Amino acid sequence: MIGKFRKIAYPLHVMLLPGLIVIAIFSYGPMVGIVIAFQNFNPTKGLFGSNWVGLEHFRYVYSLPDTYNVIRNTLVISSMKLVVDLVVTIGTALLLNEIRLKLFKRSIQTIIYLPHFLSWVILSGILIDVLSPNTGMLNEFLAWLGFKRIFFLGNENWFPFVLVGTNTWKEFGFGTIVYLAALTGINPALYEAAVLDGASRWKQTLHITLPGITPIIVLMLTLSVGNILNAGFDQVFNMYGPAVYSTGDILDTFVYRTALINAQLSVATAVGLFKSVISCFLISASYLIAYRLANYRIF
Amino acid sequence: MNARKWRKVSLAALIGTVTVVSACSKGGESSSGSSSPSPSTAASSSPSASAAPSVANGPLTKYPQEITVTTVRSANAATKYQAGDTLDSNIWTKSFKADLNINVTNKWTVSDQQFKNKLTVSMVSGDLPDFFLVDDQQLQLLVQAGQIMDLTDLYNKYATDLTKQTFGNDMKSVRMQAATFGGKLMAIPNGGGSHDDLPMVWVRKDWLDALNLQPPKTMDDVMNIAKAFANNDPDKNGKKDTFGLSLDYNLWGGWSGLDGFFNGYGAYAFNPTKGSGTNLVFLKGADGKPAYADIQPEVKTALGKLQELFKAGAINPEFSVIDGAKSGELATQGKVGMSFGQWWVGTWPIADMKKADPKVEWQAYPLVSADGKPVKGLSTSALPTKFYVINKNAKNPEAVFKLLNYFNEKVYGKTPDETYHQVVKDGTTYQVFSYAPIVGTPTETNQNDYEAIQAALQSNDATKLTPAANTYYTAIQKYKTGDFGNFVWWSTFGPSGAFGILGNYKKNNLVVESGYTAPPTETMVSKGPTLRDLEAKAFTKIIMGDPLDSFDDFVKQWKQQGGDQILKEVAESGKFN
Repeated sequence: MIGKFRKIAYPLHVMLLPGLIVIAIFSYGPMVGIVIAFQNFNPTKGLFGSNWVGLEHFRYVYSLPDTYNVIRNTLVISSMKLVVDLVVTIGTALLLNEIRLKLFKRSIQTIIYLPHFLSWVILSGILIDVLSPNTGMLNEFLAWLGFKRIFFLGNENWFPFVLVGTNTWKEFGFGTIVYLAALTGINPALYEAAVLDGASRWKQTLHITLPGITPIIVLMLTLSVGNILNAGFDQVFNMYGPAVYSTGDILDTFVYRTALINAQLSVATAVGLFKSVISCFLISASYLIAYRLANYRIF
Repeated sequence: MNARKWRKVSLAALIGTVTVVSACSKGGESSSGSSSPSPSTAASSSPSASAAPSVANGPLTKYPQEITVTTVRSANAATKYQAGDTLDSNIWTKSFKADLNINVTNKWTVSDQQFKNKLTVSMVSGDLPDFFLVDDQQLQLLVQAGQIMDLTDLYNKYATDLTKQTFGNDMKSVRMQAATFGGKLMAIPNGGGSHDDLPMVWVRKDWLDALNLQPPKTMDDVMNIAKAFANNDPDKNGKKDTFGLSLDYNLWGGWSGLDGFFNGYGAYAFNPTKGSGTNLVFLKGADGKPAYADIQPEVKTALGKLQELFKAGAINPEFSVIDGAKSGELATQGKVGMSFGQWWVGTWPIADMKKADPKVEWQAYPLVSADGKPVKGLSTSALPTKFYVINKNAKNPEAVFKLLNYFNEKVYGKTPDETYHQVVKDGTTYQVFSYAPIVGTPTETNQNDYEAIQAALQSNDATKLTPAANTYYTAIQKYKTGDFGNFVWWSTFGPSGAFGILGNYKKNNLVVESGYTAPPTETMVSKGPTLRDLEAKAFTKIIMGDPLDSFDDFVKQWKQQGGDQILKEVAESGKFN
């Protein structure tokens, strides 16, 4: 039995090889660079010639007064993004799924995909104009409605929500693709049976559509949880300023300012390693939870 | 952000360097005669003369056999090349080969944005060329690792008088000391040594006239002008859509920075939001000990005045969100009437405004003080930020000095050759000098050009001008006849131009510099960035309306979170004076 399995599986495993080699070269190879985190890295002395300092760089980051604040901001901003993104994306996918007029559906899809392809460098310029308290479209509208003008990008209380809102606006359209694909995979016979039983559109959504795409939702959630310490460097870096450091500064922008500008490569690597370890732990945990609660296995 | 920043830097600094480097020093005159063979003869592109066999290996002699020297290059996307020219093959590389028998090859060329990373990779792999350009931080690493050559003897032996002159003939100067480690010259400075970064105040003269205001004489005038520009409708369009004082979130800078504003109140704070946080200014306190410039009471006074301007609507309420490129756009859109800045403001961002609308009249004025007394400006550019270094394994290290000598001779020598400097063809300007793998950077060329051009303008005799100064002179004459596309030259070298103001500062020694010019101390490197953020936060918020007394909290926090340690290190470094 086992011999037979080997015989069939052997060629398949050989076909895996090129992929494994690429991963080894481009993913595992560079991991050697992690040693930088434990050294006072001097490029001219090379990867193994620099002085070893143990955990000094981790202690240094730990000792900075802003570190806690920054980690908190990172977690708050990216959890909010995760939840809002998920709800809006699934909602949109469900709504799109209900549209029967093909041309209309396609046009909507194209329009909401578009922002995904713009970089934050460009978008931040547009958003700074749109959100401007003096001349911005949004504030003109608020003023017209009789509200007070709000300095969205310069106000500590508003800034995290602006980040979440604009990120969702940019990404929700593109995110629907996965769910739309999952929706087409649901057996139409289930809907027919439900209609015969007298289920309304809403009941069908609740009892057929949502359970049908649960595996994909769990998969996407599990993958995002691993990214929770990445709150979006491109976005924050292009939109923030000293006035909103207290609520808008995230781990990546903080490391950029404290370590990378001054080429403190060791400190930057230490934080990167710290993030990876936490992410690895979170991914494992969320995978286990998904398995226990939803009985869903990715692997 | 990177693209924006790059655009700002490339526009401003590119045009900046053009004028800095393009000017031709008169200093070359005294360089001939002493060394043999005379550098000017050797370089006057007569290979037979320079290959004089009597001298074995002089500062500009031709090698008997072709040698190869390697380097690496960074390419600026904005640089233009004539057909057939590249960074690998151009008038410089060809002349080096013909006149010196030196074959300069580029091991690699990358865009200037990737240069630093690529060089770091080369350092790690130990694959360094014979000579290359590094920043101050890389220089320190290379010195520590002992990978670069001690240039002390080479410099004395192979640098021509002209080359030495471009470094001010002074090994004790801040510029040369920055390249000296333990009494040994380890690098050739690129840039630095000048006070051309001293701030001035740029004002819309046409707005002053429209509101019947006089140019500023005191800081109170500056305050009143800023408020009037914001509230009295200087552009007469019936809308309150203008600001008095340009500011962006970087807080300091050569355009829309606060450097000059602080100086006006006797404060010398300097710590840009986007800077490294390690180039700090230390003044001598009353007790003779180093004092951090940014926590002095004068800074608090100035911040109070800025808060007053912010409340009066004279500062863009969005300054904490916009960068320099954006604040430049506001100026070109005619929304801002005043900005503190450096001499190159005329080249960017306001260069084309006069051409688009002849009524627009930007004018630079000298800094003013709160009490009307002469005011000193802060200069931080004496310290070079870039250096050429020579690999300790280089076979012909003296060849690098020959290249530098050759460059200086062609561009700043007694008989400069414009084809090596700048070529205008079919309306396009080619910055030929920038193709050279190593460039000389004399400090006062622009200043000297300014004086020469003023003399020429008065006597109507341009014959004594160097070729470069002559181009500026012609451009100024064109501006006078209404060709406002030449505003750049008018605002820089014209009779009321920025270099007139700089010349006056320099003549009267109205300069303040940090008492500490050595590399950053340990705590500066480790705590500097955090302290910079603390400062940026505090200053931004005070300007936006936080109680002025929160400045005292900032001072306390600064000291606690590492500032006291920094001051101690500076005092103990023995390099504070």
